[in-house]
Amino acid sequence: MNTDAPQVYGKKAGTLALLVGLVFTGFAGFGFYQGWVAGDSRPLMSWLIGIAFWLSIAVGMLFITQIWHVFHARWPTILRRQCEHGFSAFPVLLILFIPLLLVPFLHENPGLLWKWMNGVNELPGHGTVGEDPIYVWKQPYLNINFFTVRAVGVFFTFILLATFLRKWSFDTDKTGDINNTHKARRLSSIGLFLCAGAATMGAIDWFKALEYHWFSTMYGVWFFAASMRAALAILLILSVILVTRGYLKGILKQSHRYDIGCMMLAFTVFWAYISFSQYFLVYNANIPEETFWYNIREKNGWWPISMCLVFGHFLIPFLILLWYKSKIVVWRSVAISAWILTFHIIDLYWNIVPGKIPAENDYGYTVRPFTVEIFDLAAIIGFGGLCIWAFCRSMNKAEPIPVRDPNIENSLNYIE
Amino acid sequence: MASSPNDSPLSPTQAAILSKVEPAELVEQPLVANDRDFNWVTNKICRIVETKTPTWWWVCMAMALLTASFTGMGLAYLVSTGVGVWGLANPINWGWAIVNFVFWIGIGHAGTLISAVLCLLKQGWRTSINRAAEAMTIFAVICAGIFPLFHVGRIWFAWWLFPLPNANAIWPQFRSPLEWDVFAVSTYGTVSVLFWYMGMIPDLGVLRDRAVQRLKLGAYEGSSWLTKRMDIFRKYFYAIFAMGWRNAGNHWRNYEMAYLVLAGLSTPLVLSVHTIVSFDFAVAQLPGWHTTIFPPYFVAGAIFSGFGMVLTLMLPLRAVYGLHDLITQRHIDNMCKICLGTGSIVGYAYIMEFFIAWYGANPYESFAFINRGFGQYSWAYYMMFACNVFTPQLFWFKAVRRNAALVWVMSIFINVGMWFERFVITVTSLANDFLPSSWGYYSPTIVDVFTFFGTFGVFSVLFLMFVRFLPLMPIGEVKYVMPQADPHCHSSHQKGEQH
Repeated sequence: MNTDAPQVYGKKAGTLALLVGLVFTGFAGFGFYQGWVAGDSRPLMSWLIGIAFWLSIAVGMLFITQIWHVFHARWPTILRRQCEHGFSAFPVLLILFIPLLLVPFLHENPGLLWKWMNGVNELPGHGTVGEDPIYVWKQPYLNINFFTVRAVGVFFTFILLATFLRKWSFDTDKTGDINNTHKARRLSSIGLFLCAGAATMGAIDWFKALEYHWFSTMYGVWFFAASMRAALAILLILSVILVTRGYLKGILKQSHRYDIGCMMLAFTVFWAYISFSQYFLVYNANIPEETFWYNIREKNGWWPISMCLVFGHFLIPFLILLWYKSKIVVWRSVAISAWILTFHIIDLYWNIVPGKIPAENDYGYTVRPFTVEIFDLAAIIGFGGLCIWAFCRSMNKAEPIPVRDPNIENSLNYIE
Repeated sequence: MASSPNDSPLSPTQAAILSKVEPAELVEQPLVANDRDFNWVTNKICRIVETKTPTWWWVCMAMALLTASFTGMGLAYLVSTGVGVWGLANPINWGWAIVNFVFWIGIGHAGTLISAVLCLLKQGWRTSINRAAEAMTIFAVICAGIFPLFHVGRIWFAWWLFPLPNANAIWPQFRSPLEWDVFAVSTYGTVSVLFWYMGMIPDLGVLRDRAVQRLKLGAYEGSSWLTKRMDIFRKYFYAIFAMGWRNAGNHWRNYEMAYLVLAGLSTPLVLSVHTIVSFDFAVAQLPGWHTTIFPPYFVAGAIFSGFGMVLTLMLPLRAVYGLHDLITQRHIDNMCKICLGTGSIVGYAYIMEFFIAWYGANPYESFAFINRGFGQYSWAYYMMFACNVFTPQLFWFKAVRRNAALVWVMSIFINVGMWFERFVITVTSLANDFLPSSWGYYSPTIVDVFTFFGTFGVFSVLFLMFVRFLPLMPIGEVKYVMPQADPHCHSSHQKGEQH
């Protein structure tokens, strides 16, 4: 009986992922260096996109795990273990975030990425950031020291929650102590609110504050919805890979995939609901200080991308996921998950990249165009490699499924 | 292809993993307490309808009718005089009417949430409370509908709200969210009635069959003359509405399918209705109204207030009818936790509104929120915050959740808080608008107070009628979540576990 086989597989895949991760992260780092030297923010955005993508997946997995704990969910017990491996990547993501935190302290232009960080940065058509009354008003919140403290606090919250949830779950494998389940449920009920606060703060600081004039109370909810969707999509792909490679063969069933598909459908609708509501309310009120954020997403190549999100990120996956077979036929469910992840990246592009750049024209600015840079791909692949390495490393620390969880039998015998 | 990675036999590795499976024991409270059997459940629910009307019911009905008459008086005076009898005056042209409308619509949400959303999420605990919550939804929608309907003033022209060409060829303003409300609320009301009625059909069949059985046995000696006549009435009344239900396998199959379809239809509806209600405010440019988080925040608030009302109604019924084995502590715990969760989401929205009002650097928006906290209506704001955010935090404590009287009092606080939330949103932004010279202070008139107060009577009359004449709980569904319904439960059933 070869009980070590899955662990060996995890190690091999982990080593490969680490290798790929280091090479591509190194390449993305080269882009970061080029941007640093040239004073170009675009390669730094590649870095931010890479982090945003993998962070959203880890955050989504943390949310899902806590929601399952709070609702005493039984069917996803097997899948919960995969999420616990997934959010072991938070420390890696913190390390990857550090270069962005160092920019305001070490670069000659602290506002290279977040333009508000440098008072002498020019604004389209009217003076500099330091002279901007809107920035002056927001300065108690938007200042470098407070920004850094918040970023550390956000990661600290995620890491703390992930550490305890993993520890208690893995400990149950060995001891069968039911108190671990109770502790996880209690922590999750508080953790969901902490997580919501941290995710909101992260979304406001890292994405929304790229255009610091803009504001929307919905923005934190958008990030939550997008994260949950991405996490579910990757969980589905992961579950199929783990079954195909023998790790969970015969354990993870069609019924589990079906329910993840249902959740994906629900969060596809929820993402659309949040995104549409935000757009519609801004559009309908037609107040220039809000509409500009959407207006610049109609210029310089962004209009087709906006339409892509409407149709590609909502309508198509929505219609496909309505079909029962799309949720149970393996290749269809994997394809739609990959589709959702691809458009999730585009959604992140759409939120991060467009911005006003001062220019000599009638508007006084031009919009940073839509481009897919080689460093974007390097960051996404490289950071992904490192996150997968963290996942595989975690796989060796616990049983493939929570064998002594009180609900494990319900999950193993789950039928639709 | 559909099941290719799953159906292959276990490898030795997977067999080794499965051999380690040894679940820790987790004892959970059963959904029907005290090891009751199916017969007990049927009798308990049916006898609420079949036994003599209790005295308390008559007393409550008399009080409810008296209270409802206040709405009658308020509306009669309004129609005969004009909408000027309400406390509306520049700049506050929306007052209690819209507040009361949103309040009642919000209460209606828990019914659909329990029936549809919790059904789709396979939450078995919903079964003891879903029927009453659905009834509550319908009656709350009726109460809500009164306000926009009479708000038009000349109520005989209310049909103009529908897109029918009239004599002047004037169409409704399709760009107004108030017009969207007409469609959203009427669709929601229709589907809610269908869902409620369809879910009741098997139980109406049971009530009919029990009446027929008693008539066949003819065991009426010593009973009053009315007893037999009531059974004759029941035989025909329930037979008409049971629509030929015979408990056949194909009936149940069709029923299950229809229930699922209606649950699927109701779920987006429950979200859409309060989203559109939130649009009533959020599409405007008025500070305090125009904020993008309104749609999910209103939906969360509606679920919060709805569950508050479910607790307000079900806890007394549980006590009066001795339903402790059907509405167990586990049910109360879950409802309290939902109130805690949704109340905290509402709190998140309050904080986010305040923060973005500052962060947005718009002086009008900042003023609107500072005015809410420290202006002439600050008392209402604190009331709202205390009831909606702080009160449910007590539900963190098991000792509080275990005290039914305290939970009931807190549910009243939730209802009060959610009414104040709508008052704060509606009135504070209008009272202190862009033009300080036009600022005012809104006070309701006695007609406003009468009309709103009376709606609690209207609601109570309808709810009391429901309790008296219709099955309070879905008998079949309650049995479905009992341990006896699980053919493999015998061993764990002995231990008191619930699967």
